[in-house]
Amino acid sequence: MTSKQKRKIKNNLVGYSFILPNLIGYTIFIFLPVCFSLILSVMEWDGSRNPMVFVGLENFKRLINDSTFRISFINTLKYAVFTVPITVVASLLLAVLLNKKIKGIAVFRTSFFFPYIASLVAVGAVWNMLFQPEYGPINNLLRAIGIANPPRWVVSTKWAMMAVIIVSIWKFMGYYMIVYLAALQGISPALYEAASIDGANGWRKLRYITIPLLTPTTFFVMMMLTIQCFKVFDLIYVMTGGGPGRSTNVLVNFIYNSAFVKFDFGYASAAAIVLFVIVLVVTLIQFKGEKKFVKYM
Amino acid sequence: MKKPIVLLLSAIMAATLITGCGKKDTPKEDTTKNETGNEQTENTKNDGGKKTLTVTTWDNDTTPQFSATIKAFEDAHPDVKVEVIDTSADEYNNKLTVMLAAESKDPDVIWVKDMGSLLSMASKKQLLELDEFIAKDNVDLSVYSGAAEQLQVEGKSYSLPYRSDWYVLYYNKDLFDKAGVEYPSNDMTWAEYEELARKVTFGEGSDKVYGTHNHTWQALVTNWAVQDGKNTVVAKDYSYLKPYYEQAVRMQKDGIIQDYATLKTANIHYSSVFKNQQVAMMPMGTWFIGTMMQSQTSGETDFNWGFATIPHPEGVAAGSTVGALTPIAIGANTDVPDLAWEFVKFAASAENSKTLAENGILSGIQSEESFDIIASAEFFPSECKDALKYTNYVFDRPLDENIDEVRTVLDEEHDLIMIGEYTIDEGIKELQERVAEIKGY
Repeated sequence: MTSKQKRKIKNNLVGYSFILPNLIGYTIFIFLPVCFSLILSVMEWDGSRNPMVFVGLENFKRLINDSTFRISFINTLKYAVFTVPITVVASLLLAVLLNKKIKGIAVFRTSFFFPYIASLVAVGAVWNMLFQPEYGPINNLLRAIGIANPPRWVVSTKWAMMAVIIVSIWKFMGYYMIVYLAALQGISPALYEAASIDGANGWRKLRYITIPLLTPTTFFVMMMLTIQCFKVFDLIYVMTGGGPGRSTNVLVNFIYNSAFVKFDFGYASAAAIVLFVIVLVVTLIQFKGEKKFVKYM
Repeated sequence: MKKPIVLLLSAIMAATLITGCGKKDTPKEDTTKNETGNEQTENTKNDGGKKTLTVTTWDNDTTPQFSATIKAFEDAHPDVKVEVIDTSADEYNNKLTVMLAAESKDPDVIWVKDMGSLLSMASKKQLLELDEFIAKDNVDLSVYSGAAEQLQVEGKSYSLPYRSDWYVLYYNKDLFDKAGVEYPSNDMTWAEYEELARKVTFGEGSDKVYGTHNHTWQALVTNWAVQDGKNTVVAKDYSYLKPYYEQAVRMQKDGIIQDYATLKTANIHYSSVFKNQQVAMMPMGTWFIGTMMQSQTSGETDFNWGFATIPHPEGVAAGSTVGALTPIAIGANTDVPDLAWEFVKFAASAENSKTLAENGILSGIQSEESFDIIASAEFFPSECKDALKYTNYVFDRPLDENIDEVRTVLDEEHDLIMIGEYTIDEGIKELQERVAEIKGY
């Protein structure tokens, strides 16, 4: 062994030793449970000392015929399809607006970021009050501006999901605004100056400089948001509990109920695998799209 | 030169990470025998030589239902310390599931929150069979008037009836007096009840008094539909629910009961509605007697209240009620089975039944004597003693392996009917389809 090889091994060892503590934690708490869940998805098991029974793809077949699963699946898609694009646009606009040097900018930035750090349970409860159909402020406002029959929000199967989406956007927007703000600071002012000299107005600068140069950030934001949306659970649990009926039941809700209400761990794992595959496919599609629309400086 | 140090440090970190998950409680186990030489003491903890018994409870600080028994047991067994693992009522079954899945020695004694979880724990072999203990100690199950047998799973006893609760009709005497209407009687049909509710609905705006109150539980509609004992909430055909939903929806539409959607979105607890005198009547379980007595004692409320037997369907005898049992059981992995059995036997005994009665709680054993004790308590409306008697008792939910799943469906469809998203027929149709899907009909 040459001394060069020796040094390389030693260097590697040092490197591994750095990641070792984290790796062990990751293996025990994430990697092994994920593998276990993969195995469980082809088993039938009630979570007790009763033996697991191999059932092959039976759990997946049951999923296809399960009306609650179908509804949860569609609801999750609906939630993601509305929440992701609106949040991206809203946080981008906020960031552009709050990227100016005006008085009290820190106050504005903080107040938009605040929802993200506020306790979800409190946020859910307060929004539920705001959305109260009879005497809630939102519907009072809507009536005041002449809408005679405002939506009944969380007690309506048609509007409950919309209410959840509105709260989600409000909550996520601040965080991604900060991400965009950071990216905006990275755009060279020289580009804007050059554009000004060429006579470009504000809109054209936004359209041809800001947005293209932010595409790497947009890509990141979209991916994170998509994953976040597919695993939504807490906010819905607090606001509607999946109701009315099954109108805001989402996949994670379904997985939770299958595992901890029905004690059908195999079935729940199968649903979790389906969720994993969906997120994987969506992310892969986004990666594919990356080459088309993301421009690096 | 610093590299070896880094290596060493990270190795230590990794090592602590692994050992951190290891047995923490090893030193706690004390294998010294105590002076009596009892075999059970092998695993007792080092707590002044006391034996420790672990029990699981829910909402222990809000009701005396567990603490009264625990205290009485500790008084009778000075060498035993009872350790309580308390969880909120909503989370109780989940927490218990996780605890039992770990197959640790604790908990020794389990208060079972509902029949569904009794069945699921028994089928997962997480509970100890009690038949041998019962035979050994010659425990007479007949004192429970059939309840012990009804708790059996596949002919085996896994639990004893600890407390028993059934529905009665609470009323606010002051509001009835104000309306000049006679108090509810112990023999009313549901139609008569509705009529009475209309009479005691008065006032406007924030001062409005509603005739009666339906909390958001589906049980407060479906229970009356199963009161005749002909159907259960796990059924192939749910058309029997229709008249009861019609009544509930009608009363809501006419403003006899508060709006379901408002109660649900504002998360309003039934006890606050009754305590704030917003309703003249309220069908609710007997557990609420203790709550009201406590509230009168503390001065939180100060009005005259009473209760009558729950109304009954046409053609069903007066005094037929719907209720549920709270069983008490032993964890399968307990390290102190004999002591745990001692506790269970004590908790479900006639003697303890009196202790519970003093606290306004109805145990699994009902006798004239326990009724007398409850009725003589200070804030009990003593003239209502007769309303405690029932002639027939059906369980609010059957011992069915899918009961929890079916209840989720019932809750969801109840929601949709009561907020007016579905007509009653649509709700019942979907309910039937979904239950058929679960049960494989």
